[in-house]
Amino acid sequence: MKINKRAQREAKQLFRLCLVNGLLDENHVRQVVRRVVAADHRDCRAILSQFGRLVKLELARHTATIESATLVPPDLRAAIEAGLTRRYGPGLTTTFIERPALIGGMRIQVGSDVFDGSVRAGLAALEKRF
Amino acid sequence: MGDLLREIEAQIAGAKTAAAKQNVGIIRELGDGVARIEGLTDAMLNEMIDLGNGVTGLVLNLEETEVGVVILGDYTKLKEGGEARTTGKLLQVPVGKGLLGRVVNVLGEPVDGKGPIKSDKTYPVEKTAPGIIRRRSVGQPVQTGIMPIDAMIPIGRGQRELIIGDRATGKTTICIDTMISQARLNKAAEAGGEKDFRPLYCIYVAIGQKQSTIARVISILEEAGAMPYTIVVASSASDSAANQYLAPFAGAAMGEWFMDNGMDALIVYDDLTKQAVAYRQVSLLLKRPSGREAFPGDVFYLHSRLLERAARVGEKYGNGSLTAMPIIETQAGDVSAYIPTNVISITDGQIFLETDLFYQGVRPAINVGISVSRVGSAAQVKAMKQVAGKLKGELAQFRELAAFAQFGSDLDAKTQAQIDRGKRIVEIFKQPQYNPIPVEIQVVVIWAVQNGYLDQVPVARVKEFQNKLTEYFTTRQVELLAKIRKEKAISDALKAELKTAVDAFKQTWTDEKATPEKAEAAKAQK
Repeated sequence: MKINKRAQREAKQLFRLCLVNGLLDENHVRQVVRRVVAADHRDCRAILSQFGRLVKLELARHTATIESATLVPPDLRAAIEAGLTRRYGPGLTTTFIERPALIGGMRIQVGSDVFDGSVRAGLAALEKRF
Repeated sequence: MGDLLREIEAQIAGAKTAAAKQNVGIIRELGDGVARIEGLTDAMLNEMIDLGNGVTGLVLNLEETEVGVVILGDYTKLKEGGEARTTGKLLQVPVGKGLLGRVVNVLGEPVDGKGPIKSDKTYPVEKTAPGIIRRRSVGQPVQTGIMPIDAMIPIGRGQRELIIGDRATGKTTICIDTMISQARLNKAAEAGGEKDFRPLYCIYVAIGQKQSTIARVISILEEAGAMPYTIVVASSASDSAANQYLAPFAGAAMGEWFMDNGMDALIVYDDLTKQAVAYRQVSLLLKRPSGREAFPGDVFYLHSRLLERAARVGEKYGNGSLTAMPIIETQAGDVSAYIPTNVISITDGQIFLETDLFYQGVRPAINVGISVSRVGSAAQVKAMKQVAGKLKGELAQFRELAAFAQFGSDLDAKTQAQIDRGKRIVEIFKQPQYNPIPVEIQVVVIWAVQNGYLDQVPVARVKEFQNKLTEYFTTRQVELLAKIRKEKAISDALKAELKTAVDAFKQTWTDEKATPEKAEAAKAQK
């Protein structure tokens, strides 16, 4: 869908309204969507589409995805969460995923930052060196 | 076998085991050599991005939620949704003497099939030009070997001289001649063991040209023996717009290495019109706002930052230089178009080539009246200054009088003499392509014209006279030529020697003309 500049600008303004103390407020987001749909604006679809993209990016920025070859024990989970909160601040949602393809180690992604300590990444790096 | 195992162990030990932070993004949009990537929050402007599958991109747009990247490789290998990661490196090309004699692409990779390039140094493609403190004024000449240029529009080392003209007027030829001339001078100095001589290395950047044209230029340079002193950066018409836009910057980086290491280099950008068009294409694909003729707002900065990198640096900073000869192609002689006016205002002078002159047989088709060199005269050889000082004025007067004389036949003797002299000057400035003339020969010929030795020679035979005079000097007056080359000025003693030599030649020329058989033979030969 082609999103014109006006729709982009308005979506950004609406997105800003949804931030409370720098964090995205779910209630505000729902309220904005409801009101835009109710207003039946000509660019409604474009605005909401851009708004949805901004929300998605913001959520990704505050979501930590932790992938590991085996299940992470609870004490290690707590330690990882504490470490990530220290680095990225409060409001971080953590998701733990089991991915045997990593062979061993762990891969953590927060927004566009990736910390890859998996065996698979190590092997890939070694392959590149050879 | 033991060595191999040790090597493998070393590679394993070198492989990082700790989890290093990486910055990744997702390719959101892809097409026409441009990608939009979501994420990559740490990306820098002009940073190289690893797009996977061995394809590299260059960050040109930094936006709030995404980055705009131009793809430098084969974008058909990429997919939307693919992962891209920052490399922390700016776009760099290999530099050094190992590139001489090679043909490379915009990334400095060899495309001539002569194997890998021996170079362990790299330079960033985008680099800030030398500042005011580092620079010094131009003071050493670039001998182009083209008589009208060396005599009237001299170019100095570190200068930026624009070559401008319509299609097929001989713009590239002037640059090739200059490169051939440098190679000959370099070779002669090497053979003569001249310690003070500073060789001038050449870089030819082909932008958006046909592959066949590039191949032809390379073969000409090879035939003339100029390739060992030349680097060719080829970005042909089949290359992506991003490559065409980056090629001059890659060439400039290679030239800067020579300058930074106390050497002299000459760079030819053939041509910047096509580079501007490629940049416009990239900018439009990146959805940058367009301005006049749909060029982006920073097209002036594109050329100014490139040409500012040509400089002569002070002795404290190595005394190197980078001379730039950008080429601009005009449409129907319109020099007031957007890109020509921009580049004219940036450079230190321009050489105008005209289609009319070209078809009149005046080749190189330089319009001397509107061609200028703003700083080069300071670098001109003194001997040339002595003999050619008044030439430009005389030619201007000749053109004015010739135009006036078309309307009437009764002219006073002085006016007629001026017109006759002008016609002979125009004749001696005609020069075949790929045949640069050494400066000492140029001095002798111009001295002969200025001292009236050609006044009695019919205009149709001026070229013959010039060729014979050149032959006479190169075979029988070698010492005198060497003296002119060495002293670089015409002293009274040298003037007397020159007079004796030219008088002797004139005598043989007159005798030859007087003998009917010889005249007949010469005519047949002609």
